[in-house]
Amino acid sequence: MQASVPTATRIKMNSSQTTSRLVKKSPSVCTDLPLSSLDVRDKLRLMKELLGSCYGPTARLKQVHNNIGGSVVTTSTSSVLLQAITSSRPVIGLIKSSVLNHVSRFGDCGLFAAVLCLSLVEEAARRGVGNSAAIRANDRLLALCTGYLQREDCGCRVELDFCSSRSLIALARTVVSSKPTCVLAEPESAHIGRLAVRAFLLTVPCDAPDPVRLGRTVTVPVEGRPVLESAVFPGLLLDAPEHLCGLAGVRGPVRAVLFSASLAGDLGELGDGRIEVHAGVDTDAQILDRLLELGRQALEDGVKLFVCQKVIHPVLQHYLRCGGLIVIERVGVSLMEPLIQLTGAQPVATLHAAIPSAAYGEVHDVSIRHFGSKTMLHLHPAGETAVCSMVLCHRNETMLNELKLVCQKAEHVLRLTLREPWALLGGGCTETLLAAYVRHKSKNDAPEATSALGCSQTEYLLAAEAFCRSLESVAACLEHDGGASVIDLTHAHHWTLPPDVTEQHLEGGTAATLCGCGALESCRKKKWSYLNSECADFSPAPLSTASPLRQPAVLDSFSAKVNALRVAVETANLVLDVRYVIQDVN
Amino acid sequence: MERLHLEHVLQSVSALESIILRSFGPEGGQVLFTRDTGRVMLSRSGERILTALHLEHPLARMVVECVWKHSTITGDGSKTFVLLLASLLRMIRATAAKEPHMSRLHNSTAAAAEAATARHLADRLLEFALTELDGLIALNVLPHGSRVSLDDITAKTPPEPSFQTLLLSFFHTRLGNVHCEFFRDLMCELLSRWMGKTGQPSSSFRFIDNNFPALHTQVSGLPAVSSRLIEGHVIHRDFATPWPQQNRRPVKAVVFSGYLQPRLLAAGDVLELGGEESVTEDASVVRFSSWTERSLESVIATLQSFGVSVLLCALKQSSAALALAAQAGMGLVECVSDEEMSLFAQLSGVTPVPDSWAVHPEHIATLTFCKPLILGAHRYVHLDFQDAEERLKVKPCSLVICGPGEEQTDQYARAFQAAIRMLLTAWEPVDKTEISTLDVKETFISNKCTSLPTDAISGESACTSCSMHPHQKCVIEPGCVIPAGGTFEFLLHHALHQYDRSCSVSVSISAFVPVSHILANALLSVPRQIYSHNRKRFLQAQTRVMALAPQQSHILGARLRQTDGPPEDGKQSARSCRKDSAALTLLDLGLESVSCKYHLVLAVVQCLTSLLRVNKVLRTHTVLHTTSHKLLSARLESPEDVDKDESP
Repeated sequence: MQASVPTATRIKMNSSQTTSRLVKKSPSVCTDLPLSSLDVRDKLRLMKELLGSCYGPTARLKQVHNNIGGSVVTTSTSSVLLQAITSSRPVIGLIKSSVLNHVSRFGDCGLFAAVLCLSLVEEAARRGVGNSAAIRANDRLLALCTGYLQREDCGCRVELDFCSSRSLIALARTVVSSKPTCVLAEPESAHIGRLAVRAFLLTVPCDAPDPVRLGRTVTVPVEGRPVLESAVFPGLLLDAPEHLCGLAGVRGPVRAVLFSASLAGDLGELGDGRIEVHAGVDTDAQILDRLLELGRQALEDGVKLFVCQKVIHPVLQHYLRCGGLIVIERVGVSLMEPLIQLTGAQPVATLHAAIPSAAYGEVHDVSIRHFGSKTMLHLHPAGETAVCSMVLCHRNETMLNELKLVCQKAEHVLRLTLREPWALLGGGCTETLLAAYVRHKSKNDAPEATSALGCSQTEYLLAAEAFCRSLESVAACLEHDGGASVIDLTHAHHWTLPPDVTEQHLEGGTAATLCGCGALESCRKKKWSYLNSECADFSPAPLSTASPLRQPAVLDSFSAKVNALRVAVETANLVLDVRYVIQDVN
Repeated sequence: MERLHLEHVLQSVSALESIILRSFGPEGGQVLFTRDTGRVMLSRSGERILTALHLEHPLARMVVECVWKHSTITGDGSKTFVLLLASLLRMIRATAAKEPHMSRLHNSTAAAAEAATARHLADRLLEFALTELDGLIALNVLPHGSRVSLDDITAKTPPEPSFQTLLLSFFHTRLGNVHCEFFRDLMCELLSRWMGKTGQPSSSFRFIDNNFPALHTQVSGLPAVSSRLIEGHVIHRDFATPWPQQNRRPVKAVVFSGYLQPRLLAAGDVLELGGEESVTEDASVVRFSSWTERSLESVIATLQSFGVSVLLCALKQSSAALALAAQAGMGLVECVSDEEMSLFAQLSGVTPVPDSWAVHPEHIATLTFCKPLILGAHRYVHLDFQDAEERLKVKPCSLVICGPGEEQTDQYARAFQAAIRMLLTAWEPVDKTEISTLDVKETFISNKCTSLPTDAISGESACTSCSMHPHQKCVIEPGCVIPAGGTFEFLLHHALHQYDRSCSVSVSISAFVPVSHILANALLSVPRQIYSHNRKRFLQAQTRVMALAPQQSHILGARLRQTDGPPEDGKQSARSCRKDSAALTLLDLGLESVSCKYHLVLAVVQCLTSLLRVNKVLRTHTVLHTTSHKLLSARLESPEDVDKDESP
């Protein structure tokens, strides 16, 4: 490290690019060795505290509002929170973008990744492990973790049983209950969890050819109704047009046509040239004639449901309604695909030819449903179509938005199980178990590792300790009410003690009744240790040896968590590797 | 107006050097940037770091431009470039300051004299590098190098020194020590698929380099180890029509470069409706639009008769075209980029249809499959070609590069491309005719110094070396590598000193500072930085390399041996020195390409010369709202700076 380079220098850098206003650009700000700067370390710690307090079911919520009077967002979700945070420190921006990318791929474990990454950086810096040694050691320890998670006798992995919905519901409920912004009571979160699983099962086609394509869940938010009125329906719910008061005329199989082109009477695509219209020629009328011709054909072909992605000319609309058709316009491109799947129709965009008979689709039945102030048209599928609608009700808009987000995440997490049919123990048990395993294993393979990594044994053990502490600190973040986190020394599960519990309660086995994931019950024989305190290393025993074995009630997505673990370690390694920062402050 | 002194030049280059040093060598790390747009960028590549800086000083910008040009060609060595440049400048300044006699010749200030000397030195250095350097490398460095073969690219444990080690050390400098092995294996696999059974390796490298944007997909949000190769070709667009789930194989595809629905009115055309002479009923605009629809229908019908089920289009198509294609059960992909179109055309052997009416059987490509593929947040089209293996002798495949964030993914992708460029430079084919001329030259390698008894044709030597200038190509055989960690610099340093000594024996001009001496000492700054964290290792490495360096007599021997069988020289000497290089691999720092190193030294000296030729910076004031935005700096050469001080 060169001492001659000052820690924060402004070097002569500028752009002479002539902008329109010819403003001279200000020089870039350079920071040498950012991780040794106190300010950066403070910011990282602040960030960790901020995100850590949002983690878990008892998390504290954050309100985000900007300085120009925008709307106030209340959230504890990583994707919303991280997008709202701006930092003057690019290192934080780096972590932010990694976590956001992970969340957009997997939909879960964003806060886990962020907190783990930040504490890995903090612990490595605090212990004074050399950066390159820490990076190599982290990489090796990560391989140790992922190797363990893939093993058959892995203590924190649970095989998902698709024959019963119990574990799927546990998985969905964990996602739902980890977002306290939704403000759900116990029965409400159970209800939403069941709905999420039901919607997921409806979108899995039964007799699909290879490759399987999952269907779509269309979410319909309804404000001001109790959560327990939320429901899932097969088929699609569309906003009902006003004229549909008496739907008595429509019964039985309904023939449908879908238009993807505009029926507003605008000119077709002729090219970029100009069109000059002389007096006495009414092009609008000519086009409208053509549209009415289409309408007549639809009427004659017995179409009862007329849907257009874009706008329908009012005259045509009136004509069709008079003919007793249900007319729905401005459906939007996002609903077109489920509509095509549901009806089996092919979208029509040619206005000058007759509608081909193959383009018509069919709906089994049409009915009207009321949800609060909303009136929806329910299209029942003719067969098994893997399209379903989810009506979500909640008391106010903020909670409803969060609930929508939560259901999307739950759906995402459930879909991931199709590829990797496992789940991990939740409630911090996976983290403490992995930490115990890594601590035990790294002590044993230290001589081998040091020769492979080219660092000293002390460095490796320090780095391993930093890694385990980081994992444990994520588990400890679950507790926000001043309680203590402990692990048992046989299975290495995570237990939370209320604040008023003393050592005696602990020894007596009466303090905590269930571990974080709910798979273990406390008993008198257990030995305990507080998290982040020194204890002898041990190899965690597999779950099958536990005497009162229960079904774990809190489960995390396997794919999401493994990816989050990898992303966190990789990002931490990257942050540790940054030696110089150049900021363009224009 | 600002007069440029040597001091200024050195200052700007040193400022660049201080940034570069953070990411140089085995202990180097990343440099993190934020743009004014808020985008974060991360790099260990010297080229990326330098080009991302907004530099004001024209000299610094000139240096960056030189670095950029060099590394776009060779893909490597940008950090060493700056390091070597700074070190050369320091050496030149020290030498120029020591020669006060120059100022006595002219009635100018000490600073001007210093500048003149510096410039003179730089010119001679360039001349030296252009004429002598390749010979010196061939004689003194190449024997310690060895040639790696491309035959065993995918072998798990290939014999040392291997192609894999070369790639490993390259990725090590670009990506740090965590993922380099993983990316090396991926790269080897990629190369083995794309390298035909026959043909030059360099042509495959060039193919990958040219088509790299179309050959890889970046996925962020996944760890780097999820990167992989997938069979066939990925088009970075989604189907615009609902994808028909059909199992008909093989799939027939057509590429369109224009619109499917004909555009009646080109820009500038005018359609008159309802003029006096036209019949009212036929003048309806509906007639025109129905005509375009009918012709679209006939196009789709033709395609159906050929059994085509996939349409790839360069342009955005009308909604009618999409709907008709969907009704006909065809998958349509819009807005395919030019690069992907051209790659598709090369791999499938069909040409795009310019005019939608004229579809012929020769426009139809046969694919084994064509299906949607979800990578990260996007859905792409994944397809593979039938008979590609027989036709092109390659197995087409596409690279998926994953990383936690966009910055890292981008960094990995750039490292891949740079690696390809590095290989391209390393495996640059040697032209046979060039070899023969070079051999002639090699025999006269140090005629100017007249240290050799072969004076008979020394008169020609000047013109031979002059004639070498236009095609300054390497004598270095494709694929020649040398252990990394400063070996090249140590050896060349030693060779230059030897050369120096041989010159000074005969040429008795005391004022004449040997430029080779400057270069030799400047070169040592590179290994010094590599071992900057551990001085002891620098000395160890130097002693180890020096122990292998040949003595004067050895050079002569080597030269004689070369004249025996010129074209084979690289291999022969490599074989004869295998033991040495085996000893060198004990340094365990990987391998680097000799050819890249040679290009680097040459480029640095060229950059140096052009830097020192500038003597003034004119800062012109651009009037606002004028159309011409001229550069703030102008390179000027004032008349008094022209070489009058040529040494006798």
